[in-house]
Amino acid sequence: MCDVRGRGTSAASRGDEVMTYVNGPSAPLLEIRGLSKHYGTIRALDDVSFTLDRDEIVGLLGDNGAGKSTLVKCLAGAVIPTAGEVYLNGDRKVFSTPAEARDEGIETVYQQLALVDIFDIPANFYLGREVVRDGWRGKLGMLNRRLMRKRARAAVEALPARFPNLDADIETMSGGQRQVVAISRAGFWGGRLLLLDEPTAALGVKEAAAVLEMIGAMVSSAETDMAMIVISHNMEHVWSICTRLLILRQGRLVADLPKSETTRQEVVAHITGATA
Amino acid sequence: MLTKLASRVRFTAMQARVGVLVILCVFFTIRSPFFFTSTNLVNVLVNGAVIGIIGSAMTLLLVARQVDVSVGSAIGFAGAVFAVVARDYGMAWGVVGAVAAAMAIAGINAVAIIKFRVNSILTTLATLVAFRGASKLVMDGRAVRVEGFRFLGRTRFEVGGIEIPVAVIVLLLVVAVFFVLMRLTKYGQQMYAIGANPQAARLAGIPLEKQVAIAFVLTGATVALASMIVVSQVGAVSPTTGERMEFLALTGVIVGGASLYGGRGSVIGTLVAILILAVLDNGLVLLQVQSFWQEVSRGVLLLGAVVFDQLGRREAEVRMDV
Repeated sequence: MCDVRGRGTSAASRGDEVMTYVNGPSAPLLEIRGLSKHYGTIRALDDVSFTLDRDEIVGLLGDNGAGKSTLVKCLAGAVIPTAGEVYLNGDRKVFSTPAEARDEGIETVYQQLALVDIFDIPANFYLGREVVRDGWRGKLGMLNRRLMRKRARAAVEALPARFPNLDADIETMSGGQRQVVAISRAGFWGGRLLLLDEPTAALGVKEAAAVLEMIGAMVSSAETDMAMIVISHNMEHVWSICTRLLILRQGRLVADLPKSETTRQEVVAHITGATA
Repeated sequence: MLTKLASRVRFTAMQARVGVLVILCVFFTIRSPFFFTSTNLVNVLVNGAVIGIIGSAMTLLLVARQVDVSVGSAIGFAGAVFAVVARDYGMAWGVVGAVAAAMAIAGINAVAIIKFRVNSILTTLATLVAFRGASKLVMDGRAVRVEGFRFLGRTRFEVGGIEIPVAVIVLLLVVAVFFVLMRLTKYGQQMYAIGANPQAARLAGIPLEKQVAIAFVLTGATVALASMIVVSQVGAVSPTTGERMEFLALTGVIVGGASLYGGRGSVIGTLVAILILAVLDNGLVLLQVQSFWQEVSRGVLLLGAVVFDQLGRREAEVRMDV
């Protein structure tokens, strides 16, 4: 189960708590050592190691089937790795459920968004983390909808994104709006590590640009130290917001490049395997 | 927590349901002098009570994309256990036996569905068949009389000059409990999420298995209650007790606005729908319409509700693309 030695203050119960670091900011925010995931003889992820510092936005690139989603799912607790270790602020963590990863401040926006269509924005923000009332009504599990609405509204107003209507159900929204809701939800919980799986894959050019702009603004405006891994198979999208690029091919990490020291041609070559 | 748009759609569906109920009542009042009398209206409520009680739990199940078609047999089995145990050991043990029997079936359903991941329709279809047989075994294939158990089924309280049967009071209490549970609690909210998007619910850390198991246990509780009301009303249990009640309840739940695709439904809708079905049955009898027409009319209502649900779904899909 979960290694609780270095557990930071959990933001699981409230949206407004600030993360604290037990071991201080000396250790890297995230360190991965030899992470592998095998499905029978297929090596979806093969001995991947890297570190991630606070305030970094890393683009995780690779062709279809390169292992991008598997890597993110291992970090999100949705997939249990076959081998390898994950360290947060120097403390080893083992996640067996998404909830455990979330309790450590890892928020994930999945490609399929994981929103409930028939709920509005506040209900989706608090999905699985619903706040109950005080006193006897809380003991009966009665929801405090007013508080959830109030907090969600405050969070949404602080975001660069514009929502037409907080009361609108997700099913009435466009693809771009849904993406913004899903990303905002991750930001709302104030995680220290945000994982975005193909945030622009299903969007048109204009919507994708708006979503990317919002992601950039979210990281720069975050009150706490935050890092982000953005998965994409579209290099152009990632290029505009990230500071570093990780490139996976056939489950292996083939390149780890600061954006300032590489070119698009080089990145594409790594993705396709044109260079050795 | 629905949009103004969607709640308006739902509200109109609700209005349509209430409208149908009112129109039916007006029609039968005009056509029969016996319909709009307090005695008859109380009878309508009594006839709807048992179906409404299990329909409330069934609504919760459908909201979470589950279903329990074994409730009719479960009522028969719990009733049979009640009758036999009450005859041999006394009434109190009979009640214990009925609750234990209903909970045993709920437990079997829950374990098969949650632990062994069998589809809930198939699981409860199996228990539907098995427990119909089991109740005949318990009764040795013959009806068993139950003497002196009048309270749940045949006692009436006088409220404002009208005698209200205990069964109707129980119905209203059960509906109220399920209404609060589904609309106001964390549990209810999570059940809607489970039905609307199970994958999102799981990723959000909602304990799907536990929440669904609770719903089956609650279904077992309503079955225990319903079986005792039936036994008390009839004064006996026969090999056919409870037969087809699962279909009546399911019809009511779906006409009431719940969807087999999960995420939709309310106990108030279910209550109104069950009243529509009860009024229809009662009115057609008063008008001396051949009883076969009752079944035809129920089928037409069910089909209408399903088509309505499908139209609403398509409308939602169109809105999505805008």
